[in-house]
Amino acid sequence: MAATPPLPPFPATSTKSLKLSHSPLLLSSKNRSNFITSCEIRRSFENHRNWTIEHFSNMNNRDSIHSNNSNSFSSSLVSATASQLPMKNSKKVVLFYSAETKSLAYNIASESDAIELRSISWGKFPDGFPNIFIPNAQGIRGQHVAFLASFSSPAVIFEQIPVIYALPKLFVASFTLVLPFFPTGTSERMEDEGDIATAFTLARLLSNIPISRGGPTSLVTFDIHALQERFYFGDNILPCFESGIPLLKRRLQDLPDSDNISIAFPDDGAWKRFHKQLQHFPTVVCAKVREGDKRIVRIKEGEPKGRHIVIVDDLVQSGGTLIECQKVLAAHGASKISAYVTHGIFPNKSWERFGHDNGGNPESAFTYFWITDSCPLTVKEVMHRPPFEVLSLASSISASLQI
Amino acid sequence: MAESIVVKSPKKHVNLFYSLDCEELANKVASHSQNNITLQNIKWRSFADGFPNIFINNAEELRGQHVAFLASFSSPAQVFEQLSVIYALPRLFVSSFTLVLPFFPTGSFERMEEEGDVATAFTLARMLSNIPISRGGPTSLVIYDIHALQERFYFGDEVLPLFETGIPLLKERLQQLPDADNVVIAFPDDGAWKRFHKQFDNYSVVVCTKVREGDKRIVRLKEGHVSGHHVVIVDDLVQSGGTLIECQKVLAANGAAKVSAYVTHGVFPNQSWLRFTHKDEASEKAFAYFWITDSCPVTVKALANKAPFEVLSLAGSIANALQI
Repeated sequence: MAATPPLPPFPATSTKSLKLSHSPLLLSSKNRSNFITSCEIRRSFENHRNWTIEHFSNMNNRDSIHSNNSNSFSSSLVSATASQLPMKNSKKVVLFYSAETKSLAYNIASESDAIELRSISWGKFPDGFPNIFIPNAQGIRGQHVAFLASFSSPAVIFEQIPVIYALPKLFVASFTLVLPFFPTGTSERMEDEGDIATAFTLARLLSNIPISRGGPTSLVTFDIHALQERFYFGDNILPCFESGIPLLKRRLQDLPDSDNISIAFPDDGAWKRFHKQLQHFPTVVCAKVREGDKRIVRIKEGEPKGRHIVIVDDLVQSGGTLIECQKVLAAHGASKISAYVTHGIFPNKSWERFGHDNGGNPESAFTYFWITDSCPLTVKEVMHRPPFEVLSLASSISASLQI
Repeated sequence: MAESIVVKSPKKHVNLFYSLDCEELANKVASHSQNNITLQNIKWRSFADGFPNIFINNAEELRGQHVAFLASFSSPAQVFEQLSVIYALPRLFVSSFTLVLPFFPTGSFERMEEEGDVATAFTLARMLSNIPISRGGPTSLVIYDIHALQERFYFGDEVLPLFETGIPLLKERLQQLPDADNVVIAFPDDGAWKRFHKQFDNYSVVVCTKVREGDKRIVRLKEGHVSGHHVVIVDDLVQSGGTLIECQKVLAANGAAKVSAYVTHGVFPNQSWLRFTHKDEASEKAFAYFWITDSCPVTVKALANKAPFEVLSLAGSIANALQI
């Protein structure tokens, strides 16, 4: 395995030749513990290679931060959510993508001038193993590079991993892996000795991505199934956990009955994952209760009566959980029922179970069913079929590439 | 003079897990070992989304035991599910872990001729190098006739590659032939010669080579005497079979009495082994024997010993390797 190349020495004279691309700020002593600074130091070497250092630390949204230092660097205010980064700080990113994610990649690139799409030549040898070529590999030297992956089945993992392991070693400035949906996320614990937690396998595969000149690979993923999975990753990868909930919130604001919406969580797990992001909505929490042999969904807290209920969860597989919840919520008087999941996995076309409620049938159909485009194969199938609406992660991903 | 007494260390008892494709080979390995190898079971299932739902039976009984896994990556789709087991077994407090991967696929895509080539042999070596260590230290990784000798160095420190070869099986078989003393070994190119010639010191050797003539690439005899001999072409693997067929033509044209072939790995994508089966007089005269090992179980099942194919089993060799 290659050792990290030592960073080029930072000569003292560079301070004079700095390009200052941000407005000057003052760090007040009160706020020193809660600040975010973004430092961009650029120095052009003879070969026109740009070398960038970026530092971030956490911040709250206090606006009263100013800096009047004028010696080595200037800093600018950057807010905690990536989507609010000022566009003038854009770093140029070269974005590669897998065959499945082409459509999403184009959407991401259209969100920002700073993102350039590049293609890869995906072939197969007769024995079925990948025959891949990255055109113009020398052209990405010194560039920030990202790869938009989709592991919709075990077979495609081995087609994309060779590219993911190869790109960081092509003298890129940094490498980011965008994997909107982290599959195997539900298989993340051993209840019996002998259980195989495939989430551990996948996290290990990704933790083994070679580091690049930009240090550890950034891994952008949305609404990972279990919060504990953050710690399955090794030191050579920096997981960046994003969420699709902001997209849902924006969509809900546009609804005519936006003031009549309550959020329902199908179980405590979903509540733990999402309630903090949805605090200003009334909530209903469901729970599965054992009654003899059967497991029945009950309402644990909250009042659905007369409300437009939106059931929120991270993913959907067969849809059974959502349908059970729907029945209980309708029985308790919900006037309309919709659902949101970040990841519409829907194996074996299970999306067919979800019909469209045009009014008055909350017990048997859904008003809206929102999914994101994290699972591109599903998106193709449900795109134009009510109740499904696809909320695109493109702008969120585009912003996260700026981190 | 006192006789030297060779004291062999007691045989290791090994618990052998295997992928579904390798069940037959695993059974043969176990039967070679006279109770030193116990076959173990895994529940291989899938979730509705296609991802593996695997359970290792009797996991607690593996504590303090030597454990091995017999893998077969005949297609990219199988890698993830077997890798999940391979990454999990070493952590079950076993006393050592050995991965037997008779055929290392991607082996022929192991170099970057241009910037932008993606050498999948590097990818696979990296994935295997990331196997967690166990109480027995690094994982032993048993591979037969890897395509490029340089690939030994693609592996990291947490695995100990053990490179075996199927050639001894071939030599044993050749000695059984009625015309054993008339056998000459042919290598289809310099690569094969580099890989194998040292194991054939007692044989006369023929080397072929591909020569460019205009647009075409033609196989020619580079060195050696063919006329009147039973020539056995030896290589590590066969894909489409084109190389072997070209060689056979040249050898026959140069007077070979019989031509046979041996490859360790009968990859034969898309049933390309059909080009060699005896269907008519012409094909019967082309190859007298075609030996492959059982490193590629999918092929072995498909060709079911149809002439001229004969399968030489790696079982005994693997059973011995597990004792290392």
